[in-house]
Amino acid sequence: MVSVESPPGHRQLPYARVLLLPAILMAAATGAAVAVVTEPARTAVGLCGALATFLVIVTGAEAVRRGRALRVARAEHARHSAYLERRIAGHDEEMARLVDEVLPAALHYMRRGNTPREVMLHLGDLDPSYADLHEPQRRLIRMVIEIIDHEEALRDSAARSFVDVARRVQAIVHQQNKELREMEEDHGRNPEVFDDLLRIDHGTALIGRLADSVSVLGGGRPGRQWPQPVALYSVLRGAMSRILEYRRIHLASIAKVNIKGTAVEPVIHAAAELLDNATRYSPPNTKVNVTATEVQTGVAIEIEDAGVNLSEESRLRIEGMLEAAKRGTDLQDLAGNPRLGLSVVGRLCTTYNMQVSLRASAYGGVRAILVVPSTMMTTEPGVGLAHGIGATSIPMPGPDALPGPARKPKKRRPTSPRIPATVSLEDDVPEVTEWTAGGLPQRRSRVKMPLSQRLAEQAAYEREEAEREAREAAERARDARWAAPASQPEPEKDEKEEPPPGMWVEAFWEGLKSGPAPDACTQSQPPHEPAHAPADDKGDLK
Amino acid sequence: MTPPQRQRRLPAQDPSGRPPVERAPVPGNPTGNPERLFVIGGEAGGERADIDLVTLIVARTEPPASATPEQAALLRLCVAPLSVAELSAYLSLPFSVVTVLLTEMLAAELVQARAPIVRQKVADRSLLEAVMHGLQRL
Repeated sequence: MVSVESPPGHRQLPYARVLLLPAILMAAATGAAVAVVTEPARTAVGLCGALATFLVIVTGAEAVRRGRALRVARAEHARHSAYLERRIAGHDEEMARLVDEVLPAALHYMRRGNTPREVMLHLGDLDPSYADLHEPQRRLIRMVIEIIDHEEALRDSAARSFVDVARRVQAIVHQQNKELREMEEDHGRNPEVFDDLLRIDHGTALIGRLADSVSVLGGGRPGRQWPQPVALYSVLRGAMSRILEYRRIHLASIAKVNIKGTAVEPVIHAAAELLDNATRYSPPNTKVNVTATEVQTGVAIEIEDAGVNLSEESRLRIEGMLEAAKRGTDLQDLAGNPRLGLSVVGRLCTTYNMQVSLRASAYGGVRAILVVPSTMMTTEPGVGLAHGIGATSIPMPGPDALPGPARKPKKRRPTSPRIPATVSLEDDVPEVTEWTAGGLPQRRSRVKMPLSQRLAEQAAYEREEAEREAREAAERARDARWAAPASQPEPEKDEKEEPPPGMWVEAFWEGLKSGPAPDACTQSQPPHEPAHAPADDKGDLK
Repeated sequence: MTPPQRQRRLPAQDPSGRPPVERAPVPGNPTGNPERLFVIGGEAGGERADIDLVTLIVARTEPPASATPEQAALLRLCVAPLSVAELSAYLSLPFSVVTVLLTEMLAAELVQARAPIVRQKVADRSLLEAVMHGLQRL
């Protein structure tokens, strides 16, 4: 920086002292010349000398004056440039403050859910010194935060549309899972169909995991919610079912804890991504060992593979990736990143407060440790550990889930034999009424007749009996009346009118035989043969 | 957008023609369970032991520590001989899954299968002859 004042020793000499020496020299030279020249020229020489002396003094005075003016102007210039440099430095400082302090504060304020306009209005409230920013600076801040707001809105809508699409896929996959499960139960007896169904089921589970990943990266929830706590073993099996090479996973000594229904899906998804990484980056003939032990903060799920060793450098890189994901990933950063799963895990860990770390494994591979916090665990009884024992619930979709395709009420198709109402359902057990001397049961032949038929017979018999009774009573009454006058011809008449005792039974049997065959229905359909069913009904009974 | 929907085949038809009531899930139907069936049984590559619905299964050992929950449950159930159909019902697993499980366990000699006596439509001729001779000798 140029000094503002001229050095203090540099005093301004008065004009007389500066001009004295040239004036004296000129005067001396003029006197000498006057003395030397002859008499007649003296006047002229004296005049010329005086004139020259005067001119020299004037010239000297002018030179000195100009020199002084120049010095003053130079000092003024130095002062001015110093001032300007100060201004520039001040501006730089202000810019730095704007960038380092004001803009971040404004952005932070905006991220808390305020519009750019509100930010500008409340800028003074953030820090009193922000209130007296210059107008251009305010304009700059405003422009920057508006651009950022716009960008974020765009990105948000992009992420939302991602999540929306993912939700639809999830809904379809969910529906598909449910139907596949039904089909698997329906065709459980047909191994070929069943195996094919399992393959489709597996593929669907893989699609579901991808949809979940997209949803998580877009800031949504993974999948659906489970209504009941689920045992950790089942959770890990659920994770296994969503990766390609689930056969290589070996579950050993899994802690017997239950995971809360709301936390089941995140754990499944995070574990599935880690399992997928483990199987993907290890030789295809090696096993991946999974253990889960309870620790102070929750339960630690260790996933150990026998793949390539994780060098310290790559470990740091992956942890960095996880960290970046925890801070919140931009979907655009993921383009071309092969380890998409780790970003998903990082995201899930941030959202659900889980811990994940990767270490070198004793087997030479990678050991991933996922710590599920105890807030996600519960002591309530969960869905049974052994498959199918004591599990009774239906999954509930989350509050923001889209409805899956609705299903029409089911129509049942008969596969069990249709039993006509006329067929007796009696057992064909022999009726034991008597015992032989040797203690063996003696079977009596029994009329094979349906129950309804027998009831009808019984009713007919009773009716007949009642009629007979009535007739006989009438007969007797008439006999009593006619007993005295004519008792002789009576028996003959009786013989004519009434069939001999026992005859009516025969007549009854005749009538029965001529009527509809008593065992027509049993002939038409044997009771214990299944109804005709198409060949593909084989699998209908589980 | 709506995928084709499936009408489930169920064993009985409602005679009155009413729309069937929404049934509560069968107890044991693990819809609250995130496991899929292929993880339990594995997509067997077609290799299944020759097991019938009525084949009787008996456990040979106590459930080992390394057994999966299904295997352990199966071994506990099979202390007394139990048919495959019953096992399938108790575990609420489809028959095919149970056969895959049993095939593995048979290979590991954890269980023993006993074929049922097949009742023939037409009785064996030699048996009939034996009966006839026996009767004649009476």
